[in-house]
Amino acid sequence: MSEKKVSVWTSITFWRRSAAWVTGTAVVLLMWLTFNTIGQISMGTDEDLQNGVKKRIPAPTVINYKIDYAYDEKRGHEVPVIGEKELFFGKEWSADEAAELLRHGKLTQQAKNCMNCHTLLGNGAYYAPDLTKAWLDPKWNDGTMTGITGKDTVEEAMAEFLMHPSQFPTHARMMPNLGITKEEAIALVAFLKHMSAIDTNGFPRNFSQSAKRLEGGTHAW
Amino acid sequence: MLGSIKSNKFQYESQKLAMNYFRVAIVLFGAQLLMGLIAATQFLYPSFLFEVYDFSVARMVHINALVVWMLYAMIGSVYLLLPDETGIEAVGIKLGKLAFWVLTAAVTVVVLVYIFIQVGPGSEATIWLINEGREYIEAPRWADIGIVVVVLIFYYNVFATYMKGEKTGIMTVLVADLFALAGLYLCGMFFTSNISMDQYWWWWVIHLWVEATWEVFVGSLAAYGLIKILGAKREIVEMWLWIEVLMLFGSGILGLGHHYFWIGTPEYWWEIGALFSALEPVPLVAMFVHVLYDWGKEQGHAEAGQAGHAVKNSPAMAWIAINAFGNFLGAGIWGFFHTLPQVNIYTHGTQFTAAHGHLAFFGAYATILIGMMYLGVQRAYAIERMRMTFKTKMAIALLITGILGMTVSLTIAGYEQVLVERADLGGGWDAYFIAQNLPWMLQAMGWRLVMGLVMFTGFIFLVADLFTIGKAKEHAEQESVGAAAA
Amino acid sequence: MEPVIMLPQIAADEFLRIFVVATLVLVFGVGYAALITLSKMGLIPKRVAPFGYIFWILQAYCLYDLSVLIHSSPFTAKVLMVAMLAYFFAPHLYFYLIEQSEKRYGEAEES
Repeated sequence: MSEKKVSVWTSITFWRRSAAWVTGTAVVLLMWLTFNTIGQISMGTDEDLQNGVKKRIPAPTVINYKIDYAYDEKRGHEVPVIGEKELFFGKEWSADEAAELLRHGKLTQQAKNCMNCHTLLGNGAYYAPDLTKAWLDPKWNDGTMTGITGKDTVEEAMAEFLMHPSQFPTHARMMPNLGITKEEAIALVAFLKHMSAIDTNGFPRNFSQSAKRLEGGTHAW
Repeated sequence: MLGSIKSNKFQYESQKLAMNYFRVAIVLFGAQLLMGLIAATQFLYPSFLFEVYDFSVARMVHINALVVWMLYAMIGSVYLLLPDETGIEAVGIKLGKLAFWVLTAAVTVVVLVYIFIQVGPGSEATIWLINEGREYIEAPRWADIGIVVVVLIFYYNVFATYMKGEKTGIMTVLVADLFALAGLYLCGMFFTSNISMDQYWWWWVIHLWVEATWEVFVGSLAAYGLIKILGAKREIVEMWLWIEVLMLFGSGILGLGHHYFWIGTPEYWWEIGALFSALEPVPLVAMFVHVLYDWGKEQGHAEAGQAGHAVKNSPAMAWIAINAFGNFLGAGIWGFFHTLPQVNIYTHGTQFTAAHGHLAFFGAYATILIGMMYLGVQRAYAIERMRMTFKTKMAIALLITGILGMTVSLTIAGYEQVLVERADLGGGWDAYFIAQNLPWMLQAMGWRLVMGLVMFTGFIFLVADLFTIGKAKEHAEQESVGAAAA
Repeated sequence: MEPVIMLPQIAADEFLRIFVVATLVLVFGVGYAALITLSKMGLIPKRVAPFGYIFWILQAYCLYDLSVLIHSSPFTAKVLMVAMLAYFFAPHLYFYLIEQSEKRYGEAEES
């Protein structure tokens, strides 16, 4: 308790410098974390997939594989599981084709403004279901939507629905017709399948539970 | 406020330009509310305007009008306080005026394209010309570039005026803050097929705007307001401003982590996000206490002396006080109770977020920007002491009732969604619609629409008040008292 | 190594309590700060100040309850309690700063 006339605590210069230092430190920390995160969320490669190397964001060619979302004992939540190969729209897509398809799908997702009704990875609007794991949704995998659209595979059913959404209503709140072409629909389905393989730290939680509750089984294909 | 074209007693061109920004801001505020009403109606009656003017379009215009009116009002506020703080006219005022018209023309075109063209094919051309489809920053790329150019002109004006004139603490904070604010916009201007990467940088724009740079901006406006309205001591106010900057940036920058829980980013963001976002309310508490303290103190001084009343502009002071409260309530409480990852995994992407968004944007930003508009009107008419009119009070009462009512409704809806859709059913298509169909949700949405209408009525009072308050007789008697005291 | 489950399941009937308790943490927090400041300013009688400390105790309890409800690790719970202790001093530090700054800047000529 020195009896100095002015205390450092009331010095504007002191607080200005402290503010600058704190802000600077926070920015530097954020930069450093960003470098680390960017490394972890860069897309993997086709080789990673072939060698079973897990990436948080897998290569576009993940559309050539079966995808599941299963509880992981170690991490305490569900994680995407990439399984055996399967055909996507009746063919296996090369790395270039898959990358181009995903790019077209992402462009279409933005152009058609999906995020102003749906949420993607939980972000967006709350007028329609979350699309993060839409590819794995029981609605597509238990025969409901394949039946309604009269298609054999999930991808074909999804593409058909996206092209003529208001022809297949399941609820008073319908998806409007956005003029999605056949190519755009295929690309969008690829985008959705790829998104379902992203490691989202267990979001959405208990995703398979609704299926168990409603259908008395798992949503496995 | 249009009346201020007739009554334009500004000393500085910069402040006349500020009023132009305020005028567009208030029009866009109205547009935001109208779009909100359409979207709220569609929640209840999904066939309303179906495949004519869909929810996605109404919602896009709703949130874009929000962002743009706030940016307009923020630019207006800066042009209003620039000559006061620096003591000189804005350096490039001609260029500034040109930029205003260019920006307004661009915004008009963007909105018309949103409304009439709505969506395009899945190609680069759509992203360049129609919309970018990324929430809040949907503006097509050509407009992005235009915005950058206009903002550069604005920033040049602020920076050059600052360098030439007096360098107050408030101006120093603003110059640094606006630089970060403008620079961050660049993070939202690229395309990637990787949705996680997309959202990582998207949050840099959105979060570092609304939970860091905009908050600091509000702190600066409140500091300016306290000096102008209450005659608070500049040194004390500026010392507190620096402390607020320290706390806001100290918690807000890394608070970004609470958006990185579930978008594909690593787990370490759980701890970082939880820690720093738990700290985020602390500066809001400090700002709250500080505004009330200054008000009480200056009022005490005034009563002790002869002045009688310390407040030189009671509508603006009311809105600044509401800001302190709303910021704490909307950003603080409504943010905090769903920010921890343990809870957020259930609340993420539900109406909880909507409840928080509505109250926080209104409480933290709309309020103080409305206060700045009242300060502008006071200057336009050169009123010594501006008093509230009946319309001011109606606007305050209705806007606050409306926003609180909407927030409570959305919170109830979100709570129901968390319990049924998330905790019980675990998300997915059926889980979503089961939760949407329950009476709790439907009634909450009904009340939300009602409260939206209440808010819109409040908005009409607000506009009417801004138009007429300059000529209201309430200030006259006060003025003569003030003249007698002087 | 025993797997550390960061995000345990939360039972449906616990959510309401979590949201209420989290809200109360902030409500009591601002109440504590406001009561202490106001009573020091003399705007409300000095005898109200003890209620401020009651608010602080309630806030600490709510934060503890919250940490239990969301199944925080013991370490996190301890960190939270230390944070509460730090917050105890916040209004006092705040008022000290106000007093000192008034002393330093307030006596200058009235603007």
